[in-house]
Amino acid sequence: MVDLAGILISSIAALATGLALQGFGLGGLSSEPQKTPYLGGSDPKVHAWQRYHVRYYSMTLLFIAFEMEMMFMYPWAVVFLEEGVKAMVEMGMFLAILSIGILYGWREGIFRWQ
Amino acid sequence: MAVSGLARLATSAPAAIYPVVGKDGLAAVEDLSLHPAVSLQPTPRHASVLLVSGEIRRGDHPALRRLHDQLPHPRATLWWRTTPAPGFPQAENVEGDVARAVELVWRQLMTGERRSEDNLLPDEPPAAWRGKGDHGQGGEGMMGGKPYGRPMAMTDEDQRDGLALDAYTACFGPFLSVLPPGLLLELTLQGDVVQSAKVLRAPFAQAVADEPLRRVARLLRPLGLAGAAERFQRTAAAQTGDLKILDRALRWSGALHAIPPGLGEIAGEDIRASLRRWWEQAQGIASPASLGDGRLVDLLPGLEWSEAILVANSFEYDRLLRLCPPDREDDGDQEDCS
Repeated sequence: MVDLAGILISSIAALATGLALQGFGLGGLSSEPQKTPYLGGSDPKVHAWQRYHVRYYSMTLLFIAFEMEMMFMYPWAVVFLEEGVKAMVEMGMFLAILSIGILYGWREGIFRWQ
Repeated sequence: MAVSGLARLATSAPAAIYPVVGKDGLAAVEDLSLHPAVSLQPTPRHASVLLVSGEIRRGDHPALRRLHDQLPHPRATLWWRTTPAPGFPQAENVEGDVARAVELVWRQLMTGERRSEDNLLPDEPPAAWRGKGDHGQGGEGMMGGKPYGRPMAMTDEDQRDGLALDAYTACFGPFLSVLPPGLLLELTLQGDVVQSAKVLRAPFAQAVADEPLRRVARLLRPLGLAGAAERFQRTAAAQTGDLKILDRALRWSGALHAIPPGLGEIAGEDIRASLRRWWEQAQGIASPASLGDGRLVDLLPGLEWSEAILVANSFEYDRLLRLCPPDREDDGDQEDCS
């Protein structure tokens, strides 16, 4: 309870400080030229908001697939002896779902070393 | 009380300068950057003093005005080794010891003795957008309109794997700190890959800035080796120093191995070979070579941003000028860039 009150009080204090700074005019001071991206003096004609390819996504997929596997297998190994076949089947289902991601990655060429 | 304490602290800090380098102004700015009382900033957002060093072209004045307005308040402009151009009313000319002049202006700005310079450009968005569109953001639908004043980038073929993603075309320069001063490039980027490049304005000639040691330092900086670059710069400025220690620094920094082989190759010499040749020239082992020319814009497409910056910094200035013929007539007033 005391912890919660502490969090609440510090959040209110942070909010109040932010609003007070804004009230003093410390926010919203930048002019239009200051808001434009810095290009060494040039003026961008196109919005900087754009879609580009996150090329590490396939590595991320692989990482998450194997990391999730390990994350759940350690606690599972602890309860496996008590639960028996039920735990075995559940882990089988979980691994089957994860392996779909790995198979997809395989098709996308994750395992090809370049 | 607290504010005056902060002002006192700021006064004792090195003066934050954004340098705008013009013709023959580079070596002087590089030497100034070694002074403990000043600190050169890579963008105008971090600086309070705009230092124009050397003569700049009339066509670059709009860019200079924009940079001036991008400096946060309080700010001041100093013109060094050239006279203030018309259209910069509050600018001041510096003669003699520039480091002291900059320090003085910085102190006056921080204590409030000197008034901050006014905006030179109108405080208006590039296009009227407020209140337009479904949410008042200036856009229409997914990609249309001008959200927040600028149209969105549109999709284009990708060079690497054919995914049609957004191609972003913008002009970079003429005073982008990672590019040679004066060079104005129009680049089309997809993510961080350069798709196409055009030279709109050539870099400024630098008569005194082209000693081999300075060239090595300029190439080490974009490699992320600022400390090593500064050692080379100091030796170049002092014109004495133990080259053996520098040789060890260059070898141990791994700079030669960090540059991909074959990058920026013209007439059989890539950046790695150029760096090695410059270092040998600095040591007096090799003599200056006259190499064949090509075009900078032919080297850039397909490179990632960091590689493109390295390529742009990898030539002697007289050679770079030959590699950068403007792709169209420069009428001194680029409509689509400034």
